[in-house]
Amino acid sequence: MEKVLLLIHTDGEGNLHKSMMEALAAALAAGKRLGEVRLCAGIVGAGASDAADKLAGSGIEKVFTVSGDDFTASRYSSDSAAAEAVCRAADASIVVAAGTSRWNRVLSGVAFRLGGRIDTHVTGFGEGDGLSVSRWFYRQRILASVQRSERPWIISVDPGSFQAWSGSGAPPVETEEVEVNLPDVPEVEVIGEKTPAAGEQTIKPDAEILLVAGAGWTKIQRDGSAHAGEAETLILDFLRKAQASLGGSKSMVDQASEGEAVISFMTHLNQIGQTGSTPRHQKGLATCCHGEEPHAVGWRFINERRAINLDPNCGWAQGKADVLYISDSFEVLKKVNEML
Amino acid sequence: MNEEFQRLSMDVDIVCVGFGPAMGGFLTTLSRELLNEDGTPRLESRVMPGMPLQISCYERADDVGFGVSGVATRARGIKVSLPDFDPAQVSMAADISNEKMIYLLDHLGTSRRPGMLKFADSLLKVCKWLPWYDRFSFELPWIPSFLRKEDGLVLSIGQFNQWVAGQVMSTGTVMVWPGTPVREPLVEDGRVKGVRLMDQGTDKQGSPGPGFMPGMDVQAALTVIGDGPVGPVGQKIDDMFGMPDNKEHTEWAVGAKMVIDLKEGTELEKGSVLHTFGFPEPEIFGFLYAHTSTTVSVGVFIPSWFRSPVRNSYRYLQHWMMHPRIWQYLEGGTLKSWGAKSLEESGKHAEPHLAGDGYARIGEGSGSTNVLAGAGVDEAWVTGCQLAEAVIELAGSGEDFTQENLDRTYVKKRRSSWVEKELTIAENSRNGFNSGFIKGMIGMALAGFTGGRLSVKGSPPAPDKLLPSLEEYYRGIIPPDELKEIVSGCYKSGDLLYDTLMTRAGWPEIPYDGQLLVSQQDALLVGGKVQAPDGYADHVVFRDPQLCSDCRNKICVEMCSGQAISNNPAGGVLFDNEKCIHCGACKWNCSRLTEEGEMNVEFSAGAGGLHSAEN
Amino acid sequence: MPSARICNVKEGIQTSMSDFQIVVCGSIVPDPLQSLEPAPGSEVPVLKNEMMLPSVLDPWAAHALYEAANLAKQSEGSQVWLVSLGPKAKLQQLMMTLAQKVPFQLVALDGPAGGFTDSFNASGLIAEAVKGIPGLDMSRLLLFGGWESASRGAGSTLQMVGERLGIRNQFQGVDELEVKPGEPMKILERVEGGKHQVSTCQAPPAVLGWATGNLPEPPNNPQTGMMNMRTVMPAIQQAGPVSLETGGLSYSDVKIPEQKRQTRIVKDMSTEEVARELVDWIKE
Repeated sequence: MEKVLLLIHTDGEGNLHKSMMEALAAALAAGKRLGEVRLCAGIVGAGASDAADKLAGSGIEKVFTVSGDDFTASRYSSDSAAAEAVCRAADASIVVAAGTSRWNRVLSGVAFRLGGRIDTHVTGFGEGDGLSVSRWFYRQRILASVQRSERPWIISVDPGSFQAWSGSGAPPVETEEVEVNLPDVPEVEVIGEKTPAAGEQTIKPDAEILLVAGAGWTKIQRDGSAHAGEAETLILDFLRKAQASLGGSKSMVDQASEGEAVISFMTHLNQIGQTGSTPRHQKGLATCCHGEEPHAVGWRFINERRAINLDPNCGWAQGKADVLYISDSFEVLKKVNEML
Repeated sequence: MNEEFQRLSMDVDIVCVGFGPAMGGFLTTLSRELLNEDGTPRLESRVMPGMPLQISCYERADDVGFGVSGVATRARGIKVSLPDFDPAQVSMAADISNEKMIYLLDHLGTSRRPGMLKFADSLLKVCKWLPWYDRFSFELPWIPSFLRKEDGLVLSIGQFNQWVAGQVMSTGTVMVWPGTPVREPLVEDGRVKGVRLMDQGTDKQGSPGPGFMPGMDVQAALTVIGDGPVGPVGQKIDDMFGMPDNKEHTEWAVGAKMVIDLKEGTELEKGSVLHTFGFPEPEIFGFLYAHTSTTVSVGVFIPSWFRSPVRNSYRYLQHWMMHPRIWQYLEGGTLKSWGAKSLEESGKHAEPHLAGDGYARIGEGSGSTNVLAGAGVDEAWVTGCQLAEAVIELAGSGEDFTQENLDRTYVKKRRSSWVEKELTIAENSRNGFNSGFIKGMIGMALAGFTGGRLSVKGSPPAPDKLLPSLEEYYRGIIPPDELKEIVSGCYKSGDLLYDTLMTRAGWPEIPYDGQLLVSQQDALLVGGKVQAPDGYADHVVFRDPQLCSDCRNKICVEMCSGQAISNNPAGGVLFDNEKCIHCGACKWNCSRLTEEGEMNVEFSAGAGGLHSAEN
Repeated sequence: MPSARICNVKEGIQTSMSDFQIVVCGSIVPDPLQSLEPAPGSEVPVLKNEMMLPSVLDPWAAHALYEAANLAKQSEGSQVWLVSLGPKAKLQQLMMTLAQKVPFQLVALDGPAGGFTDSFNASGLIAEAVKGIPGLDMSRLLLFGGWESASRGAGSTLQMVGERLGIRNQFQGVDELEVKPGEPMKILERVEGGKHQVSTCQAPPAVLGWATGNLPEPPNNPQTGMMNMRTVMPAIQQAGPVSLETGGLSYSDVKIPEQKRQTRIVKDMSTEEVARELVDWIKE
């Protein structure tokens, strides 16, 4: 019988982020596919014992916790030791984990220590007998189902891929604190977080809508000159009013590093596409970008897509957007901001 | 120059510019002779005694074999250099299995055909029962020997170049460096001493920016120039040393090409070769080569003697593809890659000085293209081999690369070869096209059948008198007032003039399908990738912007293969190097001359260009 | 102004603190703009026309290499190796464009570079290659690479190589490494929300999986090229064939997803109407 372990972590304050509940849903789905399984959970981080209660009613039989000050910080040495210890304590054959930056840093190393295998960025489970996971290859361009016979098999699921589990109920689950030995003085110390220099947080993973700005914003417009300053104001205004997250095309982001007329708050972190990120939002609005394939692969997980472009033959028209408005982004966004 | 920006210099024995078929032939032949079997140098370096000749080759594109480039070649020279050549070793290479020459009738009634051709068309339409008639086309029952590519190869020059570069590099004796544009030759006292690479870390105007690094001087006893018909070093050498008497660059063409995967169920015999003429305009020649039974190259050539003020390659290629005779194969296919390139169509008329003190020229830029046979790859390869043999002879006997020595070896070998003999036959074969399509065809036939003894006369007018005005061209088709309105409308909206005018003149709209029939911009994205590395100066410069502002026939905009040149809403034109595929069409499609008598478009050294997908 | 050697921060004034041995793991991936199609392989899927596709050094690994070279330049006595697992012919082609960029020594492994191979086994081959570097000193080792490849995109190989080498200080999504004399290394890693986590690490060995960093692509330097090629070409020629075991890994339903939407193209709407429609949609 497979033993499925849900492996999650608390945030710095002992809470479980939504992505942990998504991983729980994934673990439950895995369990369902496997039939007769034993379901356990492992929680690492500050307040892990208290957080265990939040899994009550889900069908998790037992929760292994690693808590304490040493495990508050997101750090390879302590996190990998904790995750390894929990996996061993649970004697898990399948480990379903939340694919956060914290877990993604360590889980591969943990898989190695356990003599197991890992698949990351899993977005779902495949059809058919046995357990198979769906994930993307070549930066979201090829989708495949993966099966493995080796165990333990760590499956790290991408945030946003599963509907978060919600529920409650008794009885409280059984918990066990797992002891992890760490060196007295850690070689790595987490100092804190650094927010974007511009002071404006433009990347909002939980936003309903993503605004993607293309290089057209800083190009010469129909009046024969560029209007980067006006573009900045329009974009920032939109981000605030629509509570949107900001993405950029590669050419737009590259311009920022080339010292051209640019959107000052645009960095490589904003880049969407083949060599950038693939964010998940319900809606996406593309402005001043052509919609070429490498860029559009970054839109893989945007459900509703609209684009504004002056060229009716641009890439968006080729089945990449739901709606393409042949219009001037400057004028439209100005109007949209007024209306919002 | 600021001391911080000290220009570095490096010594090699031979520096090579451009990696194409000619350089492939040169380096293949030379690299085999550099070492003895025991690993000691056979041809010893002067700059690194004890080592073999130090040879560096610089190519501006980000990779060798970057372009899409199907060819059918007799490969006589290639097979001599590579006697064990097996097409199976090189992707997209195949032995030619069958060859057809097809005249395409105008099934749309929109082509601008002379009366005689229209008459011929109607005659042929009556003869539908003939076995050579098929889907508005007529297959020539027999192909003249001077046009045939029998026993030859179908190649992707991109793939072939990559393979050759791999072979050459694996000898460990030659270094080929893509992504490294050469700016100009270094000339001192009439002797070429090497080359200067392009400055890096500059703004688009060439001024030093962050990370500035002056282009290095690569000094060499011999500079081998194989940078093609629009290469900067060849151009500079022509400027510095002048062209020989009665030689000049007058005829050009742009070849626009695609690689297409055929629809499932559609197959052609591997190695099939189709040459076409007659449609979409009589002056436009087309081809289809089957690299495999399901992958083909197709393309058209838009020559400089097609005197349309809104000539373009992309839309004509699409109309050609959709001709019923061709479309039977292509319909439902998928565009795999796309590209375009300028071709030197003057042949021997544009042969520069082949050698001088410290330099030699090979390949297309040296006038090696046979314009009668429509062949250039094998000829270019052979010129490279001939130079290599000369280098082996001179270096082996410790002689210098002087003009006299190079004339005695390289030029002599070239003059006595089959390449020269055939170039001479072809020399005047296309002159007739300057007096019209029919005279052009007659001229080709005359030259071909008489071994070049007879031809039809004709020479192109001066560049600024070359093209008719829009009003002249569309007389009887579009009223002048409407024409004026269309032109100003397009300038305002940014729409393509050629596209609008062709549609107005009766050419059907292209039914874009996002798969094979895509917009010109999408072809840039679907069929390849324009490499425009940061930190280089723009390589297309308009010498006098006012001339562009005053220009009504901005043929540079229409012919720009990547739509990198566009109308500036504020007047004149704009250049966007991120779209430039370095086809060089702008170089010969400018109709304005500066006060100094130069064409207003300057096409100089630049990095990058199109990197075709699956070239 | 105290002397400082700063990597990836504009220009630092350098004094020597320690000499690093920086091993960068990175291989080829198809040029990002190519159309890719999967095809059945003998054990795991491959890409159609894989050998014909123009390829580049994996973009994030390329950043890692540039960062490595920059750090080495600023730390006298440092050395950089590039460990690449890929088909020999493609590696040779890659070196033609890469070798002019920065000085490095190549360790080449002639094997598959596709994204469908398994990171566990690939990490074993790479770790063995790293261990085989003559004079490798773990106390000076910084293991660099891209935080994810553009092929498998898993972000798992580098960690396993680190584990196999016994390195327990690892960082992923690194955008900045700051090295100052007498101070621990300071590292910025990407975390959720467009933020960076700032950590310090006392000393090597450490694994750094790089994201984009802030360094531009270095210009081509022909002298660097000539110097690199003296060791790069022999390294390629000597590269032994390696095979990647598949183990219990298998694939099904390998496909390019049908992603075509029925695009409504709105051409003749006024700016006002477009804006109204968008606002309604945003508020839905």
